[in-house]
Parts: sequence; structure tokens; C-alpha cells
Amino acid sequence: MTTIARTINDLGPHVSIRYPFRSKFVNVNGWRMHYIDEGPPNAPPVLLLHGNPTWGYLWRDTIPPLLAAGYRVIVPDQIGFGLSEHPHSASAHSLDNHASNLVALLDQLDLNGVFFVCHDWGGPTGLAALLTRRQRATAVAVMSTWAWRTPASEFHRQILPWRLMQAPIVGPHIMARQGAFPGRGIYLSVVDRERYRRDALPAYEAVLPDPDDRRLTWQWPRSIPIDPSTDITGERFEWLEAGLRELNIPATIIWGREDDVFALDVMGVRWHDIWPHAEGPHLVTGKHFLQEDSGAEIGQLLVEFAARHLPIPEHG
Amino acid sequence: MTVTRITERPLGTRSVPLLTDPDVGHYPEFSDFLVATFDLADKQLDAPGLLDVDGHVYELIFIGRSGRPFPAGVEIAALVPGLEPLDPDQTDHDLWAILEWLVAGVGEPWSVEALRTTGRIYRVIPADS
Repeated sequence: MTTIARTINDLGPHVSIRYPFRSKFVNVNGWRMHYIDEGPPNAPPVLLLHGNPTWGYLWRDTIPPLLAAGYRVIVPDQIGFGLSEHPHSASAHSLDNHASNLVALLDQLDLNGVFFVCHDWGGPTGLAALLTRRQRATAVAVMSTWAWRTPASEFHRQILPWRLMQAPIVGPHIMARQGAFPGRGIYLSVVDRERYRRDALPAYEAVLPDPDDRRLTWQWPRSIPIDPSTDITGERFEWLEAGLRELNIPATIIWGREDDVFALDVMGVRWHDIWPHAEGPHLVTGKHFLQEDSGAEIGQLLVEFAARHLPIPEHG
Repeated sequence: MTVTRITERPLGTRSVPLLTDPDVGHYPEFSDFLVATFDLADKQLDAPGLLDVDGHVYELIFIGRSGRPFPAGVEIAALVPGLEPLDPDQTDHDLWAILEWLVAGVGEPWSVEALRTTGRIYRVIPADS
């Protein structure tokens, strides 16, 4: 049977003008993963990894500075989001399966010397993939993410609203049937809400049109370790933190000044505890979805960091 | 709105699936409440649980999964007369009432007030609820 997958162009000019790249697909662990792959194929690759409930579109303003500087930029849509396949099986969405999907992507594209750039769930998944394919990594950047068992953040401990909105039966109703993510959820976590409503919200809603498509928006939050009674990923996060503490590659931390989901005063300190050598935190205007407010500035920060650690070959 | 457990399935209705949660034990107190309310410790794969919401009836179909305590999950469906279409607005009102009934039944630290505040924050609470 032939599957007709939607592409960026299928989403209409509102999206394709702002995200003017060619859709590509790769099979990872049996799932259809959408990605873009721009820039010279022999240039150092920059891998931009999104989280919940976004897709590659999140990085639309970050990509041009990297391409202008000569880098190859690869942006996958995590399985369950964007233009990738949206499996309805709960088992498909374990943290391990999502991390393995990125390992498969690295292998199938045979990426080497990769600069991993991780936001939100792009952190635990991407960093787990990095540790699994340590030899493929050259540098790493983190923003509004975490990689340890506890504490996640004060926001995630609170019943109101975080634990309630993904509680049993409540989560599938609020987040899937009613579409609280990506709609209101991102809206509340950007600084320039009017611009988000105008430029971005339609692109996020277009790729998650039906309640069943939004499964991961409430299932991923349940994978955040909060307390022993609900913890289904704790051992993986312990492995992740231990591995990252031994990882000695160039690292940089970029954070939104207004981030109230992963507060900088807690998370920035924790990242520097794991990576004392890391640069930053470089602060930009932004809340949790800082790329929506400062995408181009983040791109420039990545270029400046990459120029020191991933030089472009002179004749590349 | 009043949510009441009933035992008589209305005749001449069909089941319309509304939502499925495969992991009601994510917070164990939620599955504990369902087990106690619908006597699931003794009658696991018996008839679905039934809830009446101001005259509209919903069924809770409990789902087992190997290696997990019962019920692993639950599917909520509306029981709609004959071939009549589902009324989506009414259904949203009724589902919200069921959520409030659920959270109230589970009890502290969960609360209906916190649920309503969450609903207002994310603008998913139906008007007049």
C-alpha cells in the first residue's frame, strides 16, 4: 500500500513561506519520520531537536543564520508530532523508543561531527541518542530542558495546573479532545503572544488536527519523573545524568529570561553542575518556547559557538 | 449537573467512543477510585460502568493489559439513542461534569476548584459549567 504523507507545502503558504524547506522522510524503528536537511552535505551538521508539542517549525528563525554561516542543518519532527507519523499506540511513545528513533536517524543519515541542539523533550531524547552514539557528537547546546531524575522543576510538581492537566482521563480530554496543547499551552509560554497567535499557532494546530493526533501532548508529560508512585522513566534519567557528567565536549546553555517552566535560577545552575565547562547561560527574550521570541538571536548564538568548535572546511 | 452511577443500560442506544486513557493508574488514586466505585476488585471484565449525567448516559469500559493492575485503562463512550447524531456541545458539558465527579471522588490533594482553574487557564471549561 502506498502512503501519501503530508509535506510542508501541503500545509499552505502560511507555513511554507515561513518554513521554506524541502520535506524528507526516513523510516525509524518502523515509523515514518519527517525531517529537513539543508545546507552543504559535507558541512558540519547541526541537529535541531524540538519537544512537546512543537515540530521543526519551532526552529524556523534559528535555521537561516546557521545556513548563512555555511552549516548543514537537520531538523526532524519527533515521531508523534509535526509531519511525522502519529502512532496511536501508547507503547510507541516511551522515552526509550523516542530516543531510539533519533539514534536511527543519526545512523540512517550517517551523521558525524554533530552539533546537538536540544529544547524541551529534545533534551532527554536527543541527549540519550547522543550518549548512545557518542562517537557521532562534537558539541551540544541545551535550552529550557533537563536530563535528571529529580527534581524536574517546581512547575512540574504542582497539581495546578500541570499534574491536573495530564491526570488520568483529564489529560485526554483537556489536551487531546480540547487541544489545550498546542493552542493555549504554547500561547501562555511565549512573550509576544500576538505574534505567536498570528505567525505560529496555525502551523502548530495544522499538524495536530484531531484528538488522536495529540496523544503525545499528554503522554509525554507523564514521562517526567515527579515522584516514585508515577515514575516510569527514572532509571533512564539516572543513566542520562551519569553519562552526561562524563561527557566532555563543548557545550553551551541558552535560556529565556522569562522562562517560568524551567526556571533559570534552578536549571541553569544544574546544567553547570553537570557541565562545569559549559558556556552561558546566554539569556534571550523568551519563556519556555524561547525560539518563538528569539529564534534568530538563538541562531546567531549557535553560529558564534559553532564557529569556535565546528569550523567550516575552507573548501567545503 | 449531577453525575450518578446507574446499573441499567438504556435500551436502544449505541456506544460512541469519546476518549481513551490507556493508563488510569498513572496516578494510582484515580484507578483506586474507579475500582471502589465500580466494584472492579470483584468484577473485572464485567459489564461497563454506567454514569447518568442529567439524563445522558455514558459508559466506562475498563481495559486490562498484561502485567498491569486492573484496570490499566478506560474508554468513555456516550450511549446515544438509535442512530441519532452525537451532540458535541452537550457531550463536552457532560464530560466536564464527569471530570469534576472523578476529581471530587479521588479527593485531596486533587480538587474540583483546581480542575476548574485549570480549565479556565486553558480555556477548555464549557460555558455555564
